[in-house]
Amino acid sequence: MGRIVFAGAMSHVLDPGYYDRACGEHGRRSVLAAMAEIARMGERLSAQSPEALIVVADDHLNAFSFNCVPALCVRIGRRVQRMVQDHAEAFDKVLDHMPADYPLHEALANAILEQGLASGFDLALSWEAPVDHAFLSPVNTLHGPRPIPPLVPIFVNAFVAPQPTARRCFAFGQHIARVVAQSPWNVGIIATGGLSHFPELSLPRVGETDTVFDRRLIHCMERGEHGPLQELTAEELHKTGSHEFLNWMVLLGAVSPARAEVRYFGELPRINLAAVEWALG
Amino acid sequence: MSRYEVNSLLYRLKKDAEFRARFTEDAAAALAGADLTEAERAAFVARDMRRINELGGYLHLVMSIPGLAAH
Repeated sequence: MGRIVFAGAMSHVLDPGYYDRACGEHGRRSVLAAMAEIARMGERLSAQSPEALIVVADDHLNAFSFNCVPALCVRIGRRVQRMVQDHAEAFDKVLDHMPADYPLHEALANAILEQGLASGFDLALSWEAPVDHAFLSPVNTLHGPRPIPPLVPIFVNAFVAPQPTARRCFAFGQHIARVVAQSPWNVGIIATGGLSHFPELSLPRVGETDTVFDRRLIHCMERGEHGPLQELTAEELHKTGSHEFLNWMVLLGAVSPARAEVRYFGELPRINLAAVEWALG
Repeated sequence: MSRYEVNSLLYRLKKDAEFRARFTEDAAAALAGADLTEAERAAFVARDMRRINELGGYLHLVMSIPGLAAH
């Protein structure tokens, strides 16, 4: 019988140069501190020798623009490629130094997909979608030079309205937990993105965050109070720049009622950086 | 479907280096066949990413088009 052996969530632009350009020396120091905590989380992840790592993250209008934008999509197949962007700018530049190709855990991805469809989750599937910084920045920061286990990338539509609801993302996470429990594998799961940044996806508001809202989310996660989080609305998430918390909702469904332990929380003008780990029974 | 046109153009500017080069050379000519309102067309020709964002252009695209990105 399989089990989830590690669960963590973290911001997903993990690059000192990016924050140096966006926020100056304070930004660079803050993300280095966050990255150090995430690297320690990665050591605990690797110590569990997971046979697969589920990565729940969002696409930044790179893989799915605009032929189709799936609400929830399982990346299947045997391998996944890093997004390629010529003359990359901003968050895309973070990918430049990363490996270009990663193995997938085909059997676990297929199980999540097939059992999902059989139990009422109308999931999308992709054999070809590349993954951007939302997946690869955390994965590489967690592992450093150590081998990366086979991945199961799960895409959540965090940005293109209408998005899936927080409640539905949580239910999908519960589905993932059921699949893992019935599988033979020990599995790690991470969710990426956030916390508050880019409220209302408005360029003039880049540089604003909602720390009060973030502390409310953390308060609930630390206490394992997942009911109020399932009530979060698309409007709240949009206003507070918490679009990517939908990824975290999937993870919460997978580990509920486990309690979160905050490894790092740091306010920057551009984003509130966070790294959180769950105490699994 | 103007919102679609704006974002489709932004996406093409990001991913299609040849189209981006034509746009950089002569934006009005590159956009000649695009189904845009006058306000949208003016914003693109002015390379005014803030205005394009106001008109519905997704933030992550206006922040990441090589050579044109708002920071």
